[in-house]
Amino acid sequence: MISVDHLVKRYGSKVAVDDLSFEVDKGEVVGFLGPNGAGKSTTLRIISGFLGLTSGTVKVAGHDITRESFDARGKLGYMPEAVPLYPEMRVAEYLRFRAELKRVPRGERTTAVGDAMAKANVRDVANVVIGHLSKGYRQRVGLADALVSNPPLLVLDEPTAGLDPNQIREVREVIRELGKEHTVLLSTHILSEVEASCSRVVVIARGKLVAAGTMDELARKRRSAGLNVVVRGNLDKALSVLRGVDGIAKASLARTAREASAQTPTNDVDDGSVHALRCSWSKKLDESATSHTTELAIAALVSAGLFIREASPLKSSLEELFGELTGASSAEADDLATDSRAAS
Amino acid sequence: MTSFWPIYKRELFAFFVTPLAWVLITVFLLVQGMHFFLLVDHFSNIGQQVSDQTPLQAFFGNTVLLYLVLFLLVPPMTMRLFAEERRSGTIESLMTAPVSSAGVVLAKYAAVLTTYVAMWAPTALYLVILRQTGEIDWHVAASAYLGVLLVGGGYLSLGLLTSAITKSQFLALVLTALVILVLFILGIGEFVTREGTLMHDVCAHVSVWAHMNDFASGVVDSRRLVFYGSLIVLPLFVTVRAVDAWRWG
Repeated sequence: MISVDHLVKRYGSKVAVDDLSFEVDKGEVVGFLGPNGAGKSTTLRIISGFLGLTSGTVKVAGHDITRESFDARGKLGYMPEAVPLYPEMRVAEYLRFRAELKRVPRGERTTAVGDAMAKANVRDVANVVIGHLSKGYRQRVGLADALVSNPPLLVLDEPTAGLDPNQIREVREVIRELGKEHTVLLSTHILSEVEASCSRVVVIARGKLVAAGTMDELARKRRSAGLNVVVRGNLDKALSVLRGVDGIAKASLARTAREASAQTPTNDVDDGSVHALRCSWSKKLDESATSHTTELAIAALVSAGLFIREASPLKSSLEELFGELTGASSAEADDLATDSRAAS
Repeated sequence: MTSFWPIYKRELFAFFVTPLAWVLITVFLLVQGMHFFLLVDHFSNIGQQVSDQTPLQAFFGNTVLLYLVLFLLVPPMTMRLFAEERRSGTIESLMTAPVSSAGVVLAKYAAVLTTYVAMWAPTALYLVILRQTGEIDWHVAASAYLGVLLVGGGYLSLGLLTSAITKSQFLALVLTALVILVLFILGIGEFVTREGTLMHDVCAHVSVWAHMNDFASGVVDSRRLVFYGSLIVLPLFVTVRAVDAWRWG
């Protein structure tokens, strides 16, 4: 449905989107993830035909967004960030205006507006002036607007930004429902958002693609951050052995499962106590290096006369992965954010 | 061009659902009503004395009230057309619908021109009143209203342009007022520059004052038509280009 190919967007000398390529297939609900100022809104604005691109090609439903802009715009429903609406109009009036603007034939307009209001769950405020609506309702009116011409593709820019948890849940439910009939591309900087509603995710940072795939694929990219081991034996001995292993930066006691008892000391090393220890790798290691270091650590413990009861990798959380993937310095991100605001 | 009608209707709706249009029309009709009253009073007092102009001519030409009113009313009419949409961001949903820039610009212009015509429409009653007491030269009335339409159309077109080049309604208001003022002052230049100089010719050509005097006495000069035609079309054209230019900003 969407194919973005080597997209570049510059604002003056600032590069907002840098050689970005990704695809969204029919029927997918794709999350477009990135920290604030990563170029998400800029990319979505280009896809929706609001902004021009510097180089590259963007196709929506097979139509080139610069050369066949009308056809492309007709195929997508776009909900801008912050959902700008005309405050003086009533909800139904506004949607009727949007339907006419989006060339819904006259005879079908009433049905189209009714359907969109039902899908976005705003029927109860059909005759309320938009300026009087709460943020949650405004957001859903924006959704109804994107839906009113029943486009095959929906592009939603931060659909849950600024909502309270109940409203977020409502909007997510609406999006999940929409995902059954429409292809959806939604941007967010909240990870749980993606987990809740998306089948696939595209992650960008500083205008560049950093990862793309299903949530499971992405989760597999989580690197082990360290090692958990449960050992029987002298605590100090175990810690000093672990600290001596090449590749381990820190080793610390997580908890002591059983205290040493004076009755059963067999030797200096095995005092009968059991400890859960946590080690972290000294630097970013790749998968084979972490396996190797794990083996080294276990071998060192065993040869020192300690007994290993458990060993498991310490996985980083999805949030940590997100941070690791995007890793933008906040100053840079702020710069870009101000930039794209100035340009709009 | 299918985007013309919905935008035109929405703009008119936006004008008349907010108090702005009603306030402007009320102020306009108060000023014009007062003007008309004073004129009629004046003409009835001079009685049978021979006068070189009729009330109609005096109402449309040789008066500063027409320009004063346009100077005060046109900027607030046009200021919000684009500036408001850009500030609130609604321009984004507007331009991502399958609409053409030209369609959007023309629809907005047509809507504000319609409001302008609606503003003047009640003054036709003055003709009906004058008709009670004497003859009316309908050709003069027609050419006077044509003049009003052209002058106002040019000002509104300039106002639309300034609204498109800034995000601030206030700045659009000030810029439009400034442009109208400069045009008027250039017109005064006709009386202060020496005849035969280039400056004099330029001033005479752009003098709204002289134009309206012509129109008010039934003279429809093709130079005036060309001048106002360009004053309407050029800003509209630049506005379309400005709207296109945002997306490359």
